[in-house]
Amino acid sequence: MAWLSSAQPYLCAVIRPQAIRQMLRWEWELEYRRSNGWFLPVLFAAMVAYLCSLLVREPSPTVWLALLWMTIVFSALQTASRSFSASAGQWLYLNQIVQPIELLLGKTMSTAGSSLLVTWTGLLLFGLWLGWPHIPETDASVATWPFLVSISLGAIAISATLSFTAALASKMDRGTGMMAILSLPLLLPTLLVSMRASKLALLGETPLVLYPNWAGEILMAAIPLALGGLLFPYLWRS
Amino acid sequence: MKAWKILAIVLVGYSLYAGLMFDVPRLVILNETIRNLYFHVPMWFSMIALLGGSLAYSFRFLRSGTEGQPSNLDRDNQARSFAEVAMVFAMLGLFTGMIWAKATWGAYWTADPKLQGTAVTLLIYAAYFILRTSIDDPEKRARLAAVYNVFAFVLMIVFIGILPRMTDSLHPGNGGNPAFGNYDLDNGMRMVFYPAVLGWILMGWWIATLRVRLERLRYRNNH
Repeated sequence: MAWLSSAQPYLCAVIRPQAIRQMLRWEWELEYRRSNGWFLPVLFAAMVAYLCSLLVREPSPTVWLALLWMTIVFSALQTASRSFSASAGQWLYLNQIVQPIELLLGKTMSTAGSSLLVTWTGLLLFGLWLGWPHIPETDASVATWPFLVSISLGAIAISATLSFTAALASKMDRGTGMMAILSLPLLLPTLLVSMRASKLALLGETPLVLYPNWAGEILMAAIPLALGGLLFPYLWRS
Repeated sequence: MKAWKILAIVLVGYSLYAGLMFDVPRLVILNETIRNLYFHVPMWFSMIALLGGSLAYSFRFLRSGTEGQPSNLDRDNQARSFAEVAMVFAMLGLFTGMIWAKATWGAYWTADPKLQGTAVTLLIYAAYFILRTSIDDPEKRARLAAVYNVFAFVLMIVFIGILPRMTDSLHPGNGGNPAFGNYDLDNGMRMVFYPAVLGWILMGWWIATLRVRLERLRYRNNH
């Protein structure tokens, strides 16, 4: 297994928490304090949510959930596609302070943060404009927390795949349109697991039933991250 | 000609003849369509084998560029050619499956997880080929395509692996249906099915290597 031993420097790369922290602080400064970049995906989510409320009146829980996930996916796509766009000077700086794996991890974390913001905004607006889905024989207030956990974990899992494809697309000459084509087929397993978890939560299942599905969502975040950790150094070498 | 190529011809020739002429059990609904087992299923085995080959070449391409060595663009050519031939087999598997589905389930397309898995596989590799056409620099194209190939292959396998556990399937071995080979694959059929699988995998591998050599000649012509 010659390739494995030569891949070890990548597999065993030390991830320095302080580098990640510095990167996240940098992202915070650029995205949230000095520009209104973060507002773009939130506005996008709000627009899609409003569009959904215009197109469907009193949807069934299944339709409601499907529309919510579509909103989340496309808003997260908006967030992620911006995450690797920086000027040459900024890249020069970033590449000096962090290693490739730290870069991917930091970007995934910031994308996940933005996706969560977008997801919660979308959820809030869905509740406002489309109403909370009414499921007979359950008390809506019981399902809220497990549902929120299911949705949030799903959004994080989606960000893990998306930030890798965003890195890939950012290396391409005509990357912007490619982003959706590259990532949507890859998002299907994540979406199916998340859809199931959120549907069960909405039906008022106990956490005992939900744990395996949450584990599935966490796994769907871990797999792209692990793959990304292995592949990102090759991608970033140029 | 190498021995494995002769073996491929012999096995595929045998499975074509035996698949159409040998006796098969006639069960309700399936009837003679069970013969499609010899043609439909080997396409999937071949597709996975070729995609596995493509993955291995992609990984070897990425490895070739490290430690100060120049990257080996021929590995990229191999990865691409294997993926292309795999997609031909995917199409063949899909079409033979659709005909079989029409005859036994009554529709060309159902919401079956295996069909969804196929659709996703086709989409993923369509994206892979589009990714290739949208980058002009061969070195960069090879690297990005290889990275995507490895990333996508693993997620595709995850998808194919988890999907049947999430939904019901009409396919044998899923959704409570018995699998072929557990107890209902006729012994006479086994003697055709396994050679057919091996034969088609070898045949696919051969076609892919021919494609690789054609591309090498084309490359040499242009440089």
